[in-house]
Amino acid sequence: MAAVIETRSLTKSFGRDVVAVSALDLSIAPGAVYGLIGRNGAGKTTTLRLLMGLLRADSGSARVLGCDFWEASPAIRQRVAYVSQGHLAPDWMALEDLDRYGGHFFDRWDSAHARFLARRWELPWKRPIGKLSGGNQRLAALAMALSARPEVLILDEPAAGLDPIARRALLVCLTEVLSDGDGATILLSTHLLSDLERLASHVGIMDRGRLVAEGAVEDWQRTMRRVQVVFDGTKPPEGISIPGAIRTQVLGPVMTALARVDDDAQLDGLRQIPNARVFVFPLSLEELFVEFFDRPAPAAGWNPGTDSGRSGTGVEVAPHKSVGRGVATAADPCGGDSDVEPVRAGRETSGVSGPPGEG
Amino acid sequence: MIHRLHFQIDERSGVPVYRQMMDQVKYYVAGGTLRQGDQLPSIRELASALTVNPTTVVKAYTELERDGVIEMRHGKGAFVSGRAKAITREEQEVALRRSAKQLVVEATQLQVTPPRVITVVREELNAVNPAPSADETPVKFTVVPGR
Repeated sequence: MAAVIETRSLTKSFGRDVVAVSALDLSIAPGAVYGLIGRNGAGKTTTLRLLMGLLRADSGSARVLGCDFWEASPAIRQRVAYVSQGHLAPDWMALEDLDRYGGHFFDRWDSAHARFLARRWELPWKRPIGKLSGGNQRLAALAMALSARPEVLILDEPAAGLDPIARRALLVCLTEVLSDGDGATILLSTHLLSDLERLASHVGIMDRGRLVAEGAVEDWQRTMRRVQVVFDGTKPPEGISIPGAIRTQVLGPVMTALARVDDDAQLDGLRQIPNARVFVFPLSLEELFVEFFDRPAPAAGWNPGTDSGRSGTGVEVAPHKSVGRGVATAADPCGGDSDVEPVRAGRETSGVSGPPGEG
Repeated sequence: MIHRLHFQIDERSGVPVYRQMMDQVKYYVAGGTLRQGDQLPSIRELASALTVNPTTVVKAYTELERDGVIEMRHGKGAFVSGRAKAITREEQEVALRRSAKQLVVEATQLQVTPPRVITVVREELNAVNPAPSADETPVKFTVVPGR
């Protein structure tokens, strides 16, 4: 299947010294829920903004639905909803105004759904956005994004600032989006790893602008383990290693490894060493993440999963012939017949984003 | 009367979520909470209640159907199956040995004595064969999320 979201060698720097995204290759299949995780400043937000065409790449490509959003038409843009970390819309606008506004720009705008979500989340329909609490502003942004009935949902830290009840409401809503009709493809950045463990199909770890690990969540849960071997004496015997180890640490007679254990039998050899005690612990995504950053950064391209979630060949898009932004020939799926100077539908509803390079 | 199933997903267990769901359904069937003909929560309902990806529920139900625990009736939902899948004695032996081996490894690590292990296994065996209840009519279950 063709990838819905794809970047190739995507690179973006700010100024001379700050490389925010570096040779990033990302490929997200239709229907995936892809969680982008990484420390603050890893390049997650910049990646999402590049995908949305809010920033221009220095080199490489970023495509959503096969289109470069820097120059995609409103027709393509309205199939994608983006919720940034920043403000939703001008402070004076109320949900009521945004709902009317959305109806003008999104063919699939679902006003009934907007009202339903506002009621469900107890968001005041007529009060200006600027007068809502921070958490409610985020929920309002999400309600608007979901009401566009998008095929692709790109969320930058959607749960940030939400209390546990609101966060749960958000997660329930996302499961409904996935259950409904054609389903959607979701790309989100987050720090809430336990939520991802339930909802995400794939996870990618970013570090300093690069994708350093990627895998199917289920595959990681099944195979990633912390294996600890305690030997007699003061240090492990010479030449011993833990099968499947991705990284190993030795402290006195204790050898600990982050390991991929496909079959427990692969550790039988260790168990047969006299006086060696083998312990195997499961790893949550959070522990894996910590494990990953706790030590010197690994070489780029480390990948614990065989099923990386990559969608194979990816999507080929015909060479761009657009004259200007948002204007394209009929043969170009990314262009449109709109003669309106590109109203960035996706951008307008998503609002202003945080400063570049953050997240 | 509303019948509710309690499901609990532990993100830190290192067990894939679909497996955790499968294990719980199997546990309820073995324990007699779920009986032949009972209807399980819908995929959408279960996904929302547990905030898990619907494809995970689909996977759990598909695997349970393959194991003969439930059957999917088109357009109606998932029901507890009447017959367990016919498995060979050999398959039975392999599956049982695998679980027993795991139990023994854990018991050893926890320094539990062998007689105690036998006692616990016997107690658990008794627990999954409760006396049949008077209410034998198939019921439809909803779900209670548990963390």
